[in-house]
Amino acid sequence: MNSRRKLGLGLKSYGFFVYFFLYFPLLIVLIFSFSPTKTMVGISGFTLKWYRELFRDENLLIAFSHTILIGVGAVAIAVALGLTGAFFVSRVSFPGKSIFRTLVLLPYILPGILMGISLLVVIKALNVPLSPFTVLLGHVSFTVPVVMFQVMSRIARMGPNYQSAAMDLGANPVQTFWYVTLPMIRTAIIGAALLAFTVSFDEIVISYFLTGTWMTLPVYIYGMMRYGLSPKVYAISAIILLLSLALIMLMSRYTGRTAEVYRVRPRKD
Amino acid sequence: MGERRSPSRALLRGIPITVWMLVLVVVPLGYTFLTSFFQVEGLQIAAKLTLKNYALFLTDPMYSGILLKSLVLALAIAMLGILAGYPLAYMLCFRVRRGKQALFMLSIIPLWVSYLVRIIAWRTILGNKGVINSALTALGLIQEPLSFLLYNRFAIAVTLTYICIPFVFIPVYTALEKIPRNILEASSDLGAGELRTFLNVVLPLSLPGLITGFIFAFIIALGDYIIPQQLGGTQGIMFGNLIWSQFGFAFNWPFGAALSFILLAISVTILSLTSRFGTTEGGFISE
Repeated sequence: MNSRRKLGLGLKSYGFFVYFFLYFPLLIVLIFSFSPTKTMVGISGFTLKWYRELFRDENLLIAFSHTILIGVGAVAIAVALGLTGAFFVSRVSFPGKSIFRTLVLLPYILPGILMGISLLVVIKALNVPLSPFTVLLGHVSFTVPVVMFQVMSRIARMGPNYQSAAMDLGANPVQTFWYVTLPMIRTAIIGAALLAFTVSFDEIVISYFLTGTWMTLPVYIYGMMRYGLSPKVYAISAIILLLSLALIMLMSRYTGRTAEVYRVRPRKD
Repeated sequence: MGERRSPSRALLRGIPITVWMLVLVVVPLGYTFLTSFFQVEGLQIAAKLTLKNYALFLTDPMYSGILLKSLVLALAIAMLGILAGYPLAYMLCFRVRRGKQALFMLSIIPLWVSYLVRIIAWRTILGNKGVINSALTALGLIQEPLSFLLYNRFAIAVTLTYICIPFVFIPVYTALEKIPRNILEASSDLGAGELRTFLNVVLPLSLPGLITGFIFAFIIALGDYIIPQQLGGTQGIMFGNLIWSQFGFAFNWPFGAALSFILLAISVTILSLTSRFGTTEGGFISE
């Protein structure tokens, strides 16, 4: 019993160390964003100067709006494609289905450089100029699998019985979808959309290859980083950090790990 | 299942996703593969088929050397990721009762925290005037900044391990959660201690999750080029940087396409191991 407790204590201190490793760097970014000077010594002071400077940087604000625009556009397309795709793959059996699934997943799991380069090579071969549209295309490539696989896992857990029951009771396919299926997968769709937006908001590699002069925020920050880390970089990093934390919190409400989220309420009678 | 009555309608539903897949996955990857057999003439890419690009990769030891170096580094990073992520998942699964949900969130949140922000953070910590060096200097432990912290493979390994931890944690945790608790009780009733139970029962049962996490970490580490560029310095040139440079100043797209295809082949081969030995569930961040 004693050795078990010792082991537990060791494990917990190791776990604490890992959490420290995970969060210390993020804390550093926050601290530096409020620091008057660039070095550690300046921690004594506190300033909001860098945040004010951010709002004066017109190009940065423009890049920010581009990122939001691409994110919203990519998510809208990804939800439409991912939803139909999820039902197709979940409900229809056809030869080569596992290969089909893998191909859909590829843009999300392959290193970004591979997707970025492949899309760039085709775009250049077709003589299409780089534009916001090509960036959007790149973002649609990896957001579709995000939505599709989230919805698929919900459909898989739901099973086909509810739909069959609705059909047997005389509902047509549209009614079945609207009154039975959609309410059950709604939270999965919202969660997936938020997740897809978060991924799109942060994406740098694919955007970098497919963007011309029309920059998204990560591409713009990446450019700033070439000239060393200015305090402004910390300020925008801190804002991004807090924004992504907010998105994650929101997302976790919808993609809860508990099955209860989507379980149909028991009937009273 | 419910759709048996109208198979043609069901197939119609598959059209959008199939078109998407052809346009954004199959054609780009296929055309890149084709480009890897093209050649550069002057400043133009000529569609004359050649094996020159692959021959260049195989004959010049510099290129295969960089690939080997990247493979070794990715392997080390994946192992470090396991070393950090597995005990965390184990602790959360078997040793924590209160605040489990919060700790779970705390373990996976870094997954979605901006990639660039994390790079910025580590550059700040490891830099010559960075957090570690400043702290050590202030404490009087060192006079000169420790130069081995940044712009080398050590910095790449630290940052990529940092990025990979949640990718290892999630599939391992999913696998551990699935182990029926009565099996552990049986093992304990038969006289096995926690360590023995771990080695003989828990570890083998969590192996699919472990392999999935390992493979994800390995592929992320192998394909990254921004972290080597930002933190690796001159000795930190990795395979991703080599590919990238062919599309930048080297301007040899066909050779870059060939290198990309080599990376693709390695990634896909390793990923296919997941479906055989690991589990795709949980590896992809689903519910």
